[in-house]
Amino acid sequence: MAKTVVEVSSLVKQYGSLRAVDGISFELYEGEVFAFLGPNGAGKTTTVEILEGIRPLTSGSAKVFGFDVTKGEDVKEIKRRIGVLTQDFSALDKLSVKENIDLIGGMYDKKLDTLEVIRLLDLEDKTKEKFESLSGGLKQRVGVAAALVNDPQLVFLDEPTTGLDPKARREVWSVIENLKKLGKTVFLTTHYMEEAQVLADRIAIINKGKIAVIGSPQDLISRYGGLKVLIVRKGGKKLAETLQNKYGGTTLNHGGDVFVKVDDVKEMWQALSTLTDMNIGKEIEIQTPTIEDVFLKVVGGRITEEGELK
Amino acid sequence: MMRPIAIFTAVTKNWMRSRSGLFFSIMFPVLLLLVFGAIFGGVGGASKYGIFVQNLDRTADEAPTELSDAFIEALNSTETFAITTIPVDADARSYARDALGPLGGNIRILIIPEGFQDDLLNGTVKVRVGISYGTIVTMYEFIEPYLNETEKMAMQQGIAQMGQYNASLPERSASLTLILDPSDQSAAIVKSIVINIANAFNYQLIGAKSVINFAEEQVTVRQFRGIDFYIPGIIAAFIMTNGIIGVTTNTTEFKRRGIIKRLSVTPLAKIEWILGNVLSQTVLNLMLTAIIIVVGWLVFNVQAIPDIFSILLIFLGSVMFSGIGMVLSGLVKDVEAASAIGNAIAFPMMFLSGTYWPVEFMPAFLQSFARVLPLTYFSEGLRYAMIFKYSEGIFTNMAIVSALAAAFIILGALVTRWKEK
Repeated sequence: MAKTVVEVSSLVKQYGSLRAVDGISFELYEGEVFAFLGPNGAGKTTTVEILEGIRPLTSGSAKVFGFDVTKGEDVKEIKRRIGVLTQDFSALDKLSVKENIDLIGGMYDKKLDTLEVIRLLDLEDKTKEKFESLSGGLKQRVGVAAALVNDPQLVFLDEPTTGLDPKARREVWSVIENLKKLGKTVFLTTHYMEEAQVLADRIAIINKGKIAVIGSPQDLISRYGGLKVLIVRKGGKKLAETLQNKYGGTTLNHGGDVFVKVDDVKEMWQALSTLTDMNIGKEIEIQTPTIEDVFLKVVGGRITEEGELK
Repeated sequence: MMRPIAIFTAVTKNWMRSRSGLFFSIMFPVLLLLVFGAIFGGVGGASKYGIFVQNLDRTADEAPTELSDAFIEALNSTETFAITTIPVDADARSYARDALGPLGGNIRILIIPEGFQDDLLNGTVKVRVGISYGTIVTMYEFIEPYLNETEKMAMQQGIAQMGQYNASLPERSASLTLILDPSDQSAAIVKSIVINIANAFNYQLIGAKSVINFAEEQVTVRQFRGIDFYIPGIIAAFIMTNGIIGVTTNTTEFKRRGIIKRLSVTPLAKIEWILGNVLSQTVLNLMLTAIIIVVGWLVFNVQAIPDIFSILLIFLGSVMFSGIGMVLSGLVKDVEAASAIGNAIAFPMMFLSGTYWPVEFMPAFLQSFARVLPLTYFSEGLRYAMIFKYSEGIFTNMAIVSALAAAFIILGALVTRWKEK
């Protein structure tokens, strides 16, 4: 069984009358990518900052590598062992990529060679470029490089792709996948469903300070994702009626596409077999549920590109 | 110690590569030095007070009389006046106004009236005879008991004749007319100099000697000019602005952009962050000092030489003003507010702390206010260290600056947030 890296129990963070984190409990295991998925204001960053030792908790307990985040000496030890990409990461504009990573490296007694980290993040040709001249994606990569310079066992990535274009986002995903290959434990916070689904070994969906569900993406999808759907493009009304008689959950949209909801793989094969026998000559798609469906089911809304709950 | 060094290196490099930072920290003080030095520094030829002189005291052949000419020469020899002569037949005021031209200027006219020499000589003779008469009367009173009757008679007769002669001399004294503009800020100085020259003339003519002599010595060992006074003032003022405006806006900007938060999740302690910034400020301020002194030396041939006390004061000043900057950046949230508050504090302090003119020149209530401003003690200490070499002044101000530096850096550390709420 994998070693527990983070242990959070009944954690509460109260700001006046607002309960930003409301009694959450979870664990993080060595070598996994754990995603905190939720809209803005859900309590993701607050939780992460409590674990990083820079925000006090109100009640409950939180331990990182067995060190208590409420104890000064323990916090020093935690800070030595973690790497952090803060939300909206920024660095000194007039310093080069290497100088900025050197600055963060200079805070640790033991650190990796800066050029090695630069190589790891594929930033060799940007080594001497000033931070201010980099694109958003490259800046995030510098942030990840800085988070790795002390060779941490646990890396916190707080909203690493927020505000990036799709290409830059995928570049960062590739970096996170590499972290996993390097054996790092990653605590990722995001409001992008796809990001959590693609990268995380386990996802905790958090909303209004509470964890709604927690589990692997597959587990969550099978538990909360709902039915698979067969789509027959331009199938028409007649086909819809035929399939409705055989499989109850069949619908037709204005474009003439037919949607057939199936409970499991067996039923899906039966439906496919029926359609093959009918020799309809239409394009057929199989739509499987995603984390977005899970989120919709457990939270009752969707998250916009900006991170707002709708 | 490595962490403060890393902060110092990064913050200093970041500043050195910032054009606006360089301009406001180094170039602007240098420009100000050049402007102040050129206007008030007493370099490039000392400026003189312009004055018009109309000499109406002429001989029969229209030449200036000997004494009126000597008086003008005495004015000239002070090297304080730029004298323009008004012709005898001109209306003095109109001539001066026309000569000053459309841009105007201060009208200062000295008119030496006709008969100046005669009045002066008559007055001098009367004074001299009067003095001699008084002296003889006094002498007679002393020796009278030792004289026989014949001698007494002779003496009394002589004294009476001398008294009659003295009384027969007319009561005349020479007068000069000095026309000054009441709005002329230099009028009092010009009047005082002219009166002094007239007095010296009086003494000379009556053969008197001043019984009070001034043993005048410079406060400083060397001969200094106005520019030497400005150099420590400008250095002190910009060390203050670098701390109060520079540190406040930089730190607030770092805070806004999450750079401080990023550093706070590393093992860096708050006090190490502050120490790194203070070190950076100290180096920046020593560079500023060196550049100001070099420019002052090259352009104005200044003699402001920093010693170990100056360097120590610059360090203490850097700590003090960085501390104030840290306090302000801990209290404000955004960069705009930081900049506004920094300017609102720094600029009045710059002009009310005796950096550009002595505190004594200001009204009494402002002098009291100046005494609560940290820059007053810093600039005074720096001036004593760099110019006057006055030990007591250096140590007193250094003690005050040290205490304020400790207080502000502790306060700065207390209000700097290293943890989120």
